[in-house]
Amino acid sequence: MGIEIIQGIISIIIIIGLAPLFAGFINKLKAILTGRIGAPVLLPYYELQKLFKKETIVATDSSFISRFSPLLNFIIMLIASAMLPIGFWKPLISFNGDIILFAYMLGLARFFQILAAMDIGSSFEGMGAAREATFALFAEPIFFFTLGSVAFISGQTSMYEIYHSIRLDNVSYIVFIIICSISAFLLAVTECSRMPIDDPNTHLELTMIHEVMILDNSGLDLYLYQYSGYIKLFIYGILEISFFYPFSAHSYLVGLIIFIFGAIILTFTLAIVETITSRFKMKNIPQYLLFATAIGILNLLIYTFTK
Amino acid sequence: MGNVLSILFCLSLFYVCITSRVKGFVTVLRIQGILLSIIIVIPFIYHFSVFGIILPVTILLVKVYLIPKYINKIILDLDIKRMIEPTIQQFSFLLLVIVTMTVIFIVTHILSQSTELNVIPFASGFSAIIIGIYIIMFRKKLIVHVAGFLILENGIFLFGTSVASELPVMIEMGMLLDVFVVVFLMGIAINNISTTLSGFDVTALGRLKD
Amino acid sequence: MFEFFIFIILPLITSLICYFIKNLRIQYCISLVPGILHFGLALCIFIGFYHTNLPFLFGIDALSKLWILILSNVYFWVVLVSYSYLKRPVNSKAEAGKQYYFLLLNFYLAANSAAILSNHFGMYWVAVEATTLSVAPLIYFYRNEEALEAMWKYLFLISIGIAFAFIGILFLTLSAKGTILEGKQLFFWEFIKNAGQLNPIWLKASFVFIFVGLSTKIGLAPMQSGDIDATSNAPSPIAALMSGSLRITALLGVLRILEIIRPTATYEFAKLIMIIGGMLSIFVAFVFMFKVNNYKRMLAYSSVEHLGIITLGIGIGGLAFIGAIYHAIYNSITKVILFLTAGNIHSRYQSREVSKVTSVMKLMPVTGWLFLISFFAISGIPPSGIFFSEIKIFEGILFSTKPGLLFIAMFFLLFIFINMGKIIFSMLYNKGTNDKQDNSIEKFEFIHFVTIALLIILIALAIISPDILFNRISSIGKDFGINL
Repeated sequence: MGIEIIQGIISIIIIIGLAPLFAGFINKLKAILTGRIGAPVLLPYYELQKLFKKETIVATDSSFISRFSPLLNFIIMLIASAMLPIGFWKPLISFNGDIILFAYMLGLARFFQILAAMDIGSSFEGMGAAREATFALFAEPIFFFTLGSVAFISGQTSMYEIYHSIRLDNVSYIVFIIICSISAFLLAVTECSRMPIDDPNTHLELTMIHEVMILDNSGLDLYLYQYSGYIKLFIYGILEISFFYPFSAHSYLVGLIIFIFGAIILTFTLAIVETITSRFKMKNIPQYLLFATAIGILNLLIYTFTK
Repeated sequence: MGNVLSILFCLSLFYVCITSRVKGFVTVLRIQGILLSIIIVIPFIYHFSVFGIILPVTILLVKVYLIPKYINKIILDLDIKRMIEPTIQQFSFLLLVIVTMTVIFIVTHILSQSTELNVIPFASGFSAIIIGIYIIMFRKKLIVHVAGFLILENGIFLFGTSVASELPVMIEMGMLLDVFVVVFLMGIAINNISTTLSGFDVTALGRLKD
Repeated sequence: MFEFFIFIILPLITSLICYFIKNLRIQYCISLVPGILHFGLALCIFIGFYHTNLPFLFGIDALSKLWILILSNVYFWVVLVSYSYLKRPVNSKAEAGKQYYFLLLNFYLAANSAAILSNHFGMYWVAVEATTLSVAPLIYFYRNEEALEAMWKYLFLISIGIAFAFIGILFLTLSAKGTILEGKQLFFWEFIKNAGQLNPIWLKASFVFIFVGLSTKIGLAPMQSGDIDATSNAPSPIAALMSGSLRITALLGVLRILEIIRPTATYEFAKLIMIIGGMLSIFVAFVFMFKVNNYKRMLAYSSVEHLGIITLGIGIGGLAFIGAIYHAIYNSITKVILFLTAGNIHSRYQSREVSKVTSVMKLMPVTGWLFLISFFAISGIPPSGIFFSEIKIFEGILFSTKPGLLFIAMFFLLFIFINMGKIIFSMLYNKGTNDKQDNSIEKFEFIHFVTIALLIILIALAIISPDILFNRISSIGKDFGINL
């Protein structure tokens, strides 16, 4: 019991500690692929440190929501990361049905972020809030059809149990998992506002979806928002990697090495996808998301009917 | 193995629904041709025979090379605009396709309890047939109608392999050649339509109404 | 092997020769040869002088013997008329198309014979697809916009229909799974003998798909649009060929699957679908006949109506079935007459619209009288054969389990007769206000001779009604379980 708690706490510390490094890696790879040297890998840490020292300014007409929304976001991310299994270690919060809690925790974070954006009163943030709300609507089924289909097949409802039950033994199951992971990749790209949904490097406010919501925040608020963004990306990365992590491995060291290897491959994939693709037109994004849902549904249908 | 290829076939059908380029259809036809020829070749890997290799090679030749080349030539000759103009939005179309596919899979599963059939290729083939009909109903450009017809034929082919009928090779080749000649004639017709009538939309074909 | 050569290979060789020879007259003379031989041989086989021995995928039975005689008859007269039809002037683009006319015509004969003589569903399907491919360029004869649109619609819609029929054939294979028929590869006789073992769900699905798919080609509602457009815009000999022989070849497919279904429990379902299809076609013809203003289109709708009557008769079964078979024979002959005379009118007035065609009786007396007589023939006035066949069908419906259908059908047929009569009488007797047309009275031409010959055959066949015809049709009926 005690060792599990310690393992859980270590998992949380790993996730929180490594999240900016993950984002830094992706940016460095993107730069190398486009022929530049790019920023150092540890740049996100320095940026966060810089933000920590700056003065926090809030809009004059904003209410109490803008005060506590950044903090709420960060705390929710912490709780969500406490529910993720890293390697063999059982997460700190794990019970039957926690997959739904996980999805809606992230939803709650997004909800408050949208409210805070609308609270500021500027039209840019309102536009970003509207877009974010719409695309989140279409992205939610993807989560349930992907993870939900794995849950349906394994019969478990706790995230730790679900991932634990993935045994890569027969071919059709492997194909199923591969297609699930493609679908989860599309989900990750949407939720974390990466290309081809949203360009994180754009400076044109009219084209932003997520970045524009935090445009008027500064200092500690911005620090909390940015950090939550990094953690969210890392969380989705772990969701993706854990599909392939053969939980039937019995050595922690091998497991850890496979985990790091998987993380590196994921950063490569994200960087390549961001470099190659250009952004979709806004009106095409719902059908892109529906496509990802369709893949999930198809997957579920095929796997159920081959049994 | 046949199941995996059928899954890829279904994914190509989804791609057809969301693409908005005319050349996207040609790409999908090529992919489907390659998938179909691999599906046909699989039983022959074990007992190899010269006779058994004729059909996959013919399929490869006709569906992957000749027909897409011919359609590309038509697109180039007529300078058809690259975008298709759909009659209903892409999003609702994709939703319709997902619902249809789900219904077909469920119905096939129910049917497979009385007869023994290979569920996945059967359902994939049948959904390709229905999606081909949807493309013909909901799209305006004539060249897209021809592509929809070819997807319908691909669906029939996949469906035929799953029924595990020992249709003689001759009939399959006859069907393939028929499809090729039909597409050839349609191409000539489209050529003439775009030069004599004003455009290559179905809206141009309105004279013969009662 | 000899008959296989005459029926199928010889027309193919002739079409190949026509590809190389450019002179229209020589093409015509060469094309007459397979036409005459085909007709002669079909007549011999029908009467029973000759016993056939066909190779692997082909076979002949009572139904095929009658059907190939119908095909030969229609084809022979159409080919005979073709040259004098082609000699008429058309616009410049169409002149180039005349080179391909006989080539496609011979190919059509080969394909259609292969479809009728085939023993195997797959072969039947390939042959029917080949007939579509051979007829479609012929529809485009006039090379104008309407012809183009008609050809496109025909090719497209019929190909989709034939694809559906193929799905139906695949379902048929599926219904044979698990029985001893598996692997017997769709031969008719095997299936008919062992029909009781077929899986009923797939058999039903197969029938529905084959019927819906082939009804695009037969021209039954609600799939009749491609066919109507094509028949009304094609040149008259081709329209006559299509109405006379192509539709009933497609009907042959439906009859075959009906033969297979007959011993099983799905027979009632299949008959119900055919009755619905037939009634719907008559209804559609009834509705559209009110507002049609193009006389060739009117004739196309009349084709839809008569094929609907045939389907209705087959669906009711019993005496109506026998009447339907007779109706198929007489309908094909009468349609040829109608379309040839309509073609005469079209080439004189250069328009298909009824409002532009006036005082035919005064300016073209021979054609006018022939048109009038053939209108009476198609409407079922005695002594035309259609009268006798329709009487049989109506009698069959009256004594069946659904006599109410008779009154509905007769109601529709009454109004179709009235509307057709209105159009034809306005064409024949109205005085035109257009005084630009030339007022020369037409002369007696070869086409008139052919039309008169066909009329005589029609009336003679109906009145004399040779025993051999009756015996053959009874044996067809026996195949379908109807004993007279």
